[in-house]
Amino acid sequence: MARILGLGDELMWAQVINALVGLWLMAAPAALGFNGAARINHLIVGPIAATFAIIAVWEVVRTVGKLNVALGIWLVVAPLVLNHWSMVSTINSLVTGIIIIALALTSGKTSDKFAGGWRSLVDSHTN
Amino acid sequence: MNSQRIKPESEPPKSQFQNRDLPAGWQQNPSSWSQRLPIAILALLGFVIASYLALYQWGVFSTVWEPFFGAGSRTILNSSVSHLLPIPDAALGAFGYFLDAVTAVIGGRARWRTMPWIVILFGLAVGPLGAASIILVILQPVLFEAWCTLCLVSALISVLMIGPAADEVLASLQYLKRERLEGHSTWRVFWGLVTN
Repeated sequence: MARILGLGDELMWAQVINALVGLWLMAAPAALGFNGAARINHLIVGPIAATFAIIAVWEVVRTVGKLNVALGIWLVVAPLVLNHWSMVSTINSLVTGIIIIALALTSGKTSDKFAGGWRSLVDSHTN
Repeated sequence: MNSQRIKPESEPPKSQFQNRDLPAGWQQNPSSWSQRLPIAILALLGFVIASYLALYQWGVFSTVWEPFFGAGSRTILNSSVSHLLPIPDAALGAFGYFLDAVTAVIGGRARWRTMPWIVILFGLAVGPLGAASIILVILQPVLFEAWCTLCLVSALISVLMIGPAADEVLASLQYLKRERLEGHSTWRVFWGLVTN
């Protein structure tokens, strides 16, 4: 299966977990029972984070996973800058944010299976 | 990392005898059927789901399947956002999936080289469909406080296709660039008119 879809490297698992964390963000407002800005923030960040992570499961577009560093940072600071966050939504945002940042940072390392990748398209002296 | 990539060692081998289906410097052929068929199957599945939802939106079916969220699917599929365009959003999605499936299967095992135009069209069909799906996934609970199970499944399918589609697009773009540096017309290479 892994070979069929062009998958198969170990670092993809960090992205799989981030995708699941993104899905959890979508479910958390209902599961943990919170509303307002915290709920809206979870429902916006969750699908975007999950999308970046799912795309980045494939090594050729692994760097897309790095975009989740920004979303993770936002999850950490959002309870500080947006109003009316309950204790549970604040903790959820902080914990998921830190997990997402840590796992997204692994997306910088890729082997060169793709002849220089996307960067080769802008480098003038390769190929 | 970046400096390593532009070292001469990473230059692809220029052997005359290498597999012509394999892009230079690649370990896998992104246009092989084992990579493209799963995408085509996903696209067909998305097409069936989106068509079903569109038929409900057109009133062909009076009810819609919703195992988890009660009236959620009805709320979403009859919402103002889903009818912003002259045709319901699921019908547009069905068209998108159909285009994905067709552009996934056209061409042979070396189409990244022989038919760059279909690979680029394939990429252009897959990308925006995924983006539109995710925007709709965000709007569901934020604007209407409801979820629609099949809409979520459809969105997941559209996002799952992006990664495996991207490698083929990269191979075609690298090929176009390589041919341009060798003096061939990008226009002619794009349409597969340059044979070598």
